[in-house]
Amino acid sequence: MATAKSLRRSWGLQLVLNALLWVIPVALLWLVATPLYNRFLLGSAENLVRLTESPNVTNLLRKDDHFAYVQRRDFPPAKSLVHSFRVTDVHFHLLMLGVLFLAVPKVPWRRRLENLGWAVLITVFFDILLIFFYVKFAYATQLGAWSLEHYGAFGRNFWGLGKHLLDLPFKFSLPFLLWAGFYFNDLMAEIRPRE
Amino acid sequence: MANKQTASKPPSPAGSFWQRNRRELTFLILFVVILGGSFTLISVNWVNDHVVEPFTAGIAWLSGGALHLLGQNVTMTGTVIRNPRFAVNIRNGCNGIEAMFIFIAAVLAFPASWKSRLAGLGLGILAIQVVNLVRVVALFLTGVYFPKIFDTSHTVIWQTIVILCGVLLWIFWANRFAAPPASEPAT
Repeated sequence: MATAKSLRRSWGLQLVLNALLWVIPVALLWLVATPLYNRFLLGSAENLVRLTESPNVTNLLRKDDHFAYVQRRDFPPAKSLVHSFRVTDVHFHLLMLGVLFLAVPKVPWRRRLENLGWAVLITVFFDILLIFFYVKFAYATQLGAWSLEHYGAFGRNFWGLGKHLLDLPFKFSLPFLLWAGFYFNDLMAEIRPRE
Repeated sequence: MANKQTASKPPSPAGSFWQRNRRELTFLILFVVILGGSFTLISVNWVNDHVVEPFTAGIAWLSGGALHLLGQNVTMTGTVIRNPRFAVNIRNGCNGIEAMFIFIAAVLAFPASWKSRLAGLGLGILAIQVVNLVRVVALFLTGVYFPKIFDTSHTVIWQTIVILCGVLLWIFWANRFAAPPASEPAT
């Protein structure tokens, strides 16, 4: 029984220690990939926004490696840049995701990488959806009289609350949600009743 | 067992998926509902003005006190901490509420005894707020002495550290302390 108890201890502690070891390599990889990923996200989100508008008037323009502008081509040129946001802030949860998925002890590398791959894919879709909500939120609530004219009370609340929920709780908790989805049984298997 | 299954009506694919994954699905659904509910609640203006803002002001006050101890000549106004060289406004996202709510939702959704949950909540929330206090102090000092890396430090490094702390604390709690005694079933 003492062995079972020490094994239980070692799984949780081992995961925490592994996570600490993975933070720097994952952060470096994320930093290197960020400019490229930002471009990919802006392109994909722009396409998604355009699916919901006719005619297509939205451009998502890269300002630098981290920031982007939302541009409406139907606005006067001096006022066409209607909103800006930091694209890098959208996806720093990938860092947490990588650390959590790589840190799980007693799981073969093949399964670990497979799970990480699926989780990253889901996160990419989430990130594109989040930028879509950024743009809709800006249109519905940030453009003064134009927003009031084009969005009703329900629309403003929908995009406002949607952006709030996706941008704070779900962006922050997505790595954990995915981790729990893939590894909940591994965690439960390590829990034994206390004597 | 096989005979019994062929004799009775086979479960539908959705039903068998639910039965196979009941524990984790229940956890995930409860987690999302509690987390979404708590964040919807704090997005209500009244709750924000009467609960979140005073809580955030308390964090600003504690952080200001810690900065005083470190020799920084700061003044506090509401949620703003400033000295002649730099000022920060502690807002949602910087008050540790996100990490706290993720931790609380995960603890409440996990099948453990209420005693374990309450102990986990008390110690976990305290630990998260201590880490958040270190974050606010460190960010202020970064703003004063290394302003060029303030943005990255603010939105990437410390957010990641605080949320990761909450998640790792939960995993440690669930693995080590949430187990029911042999005689007591989890609720």
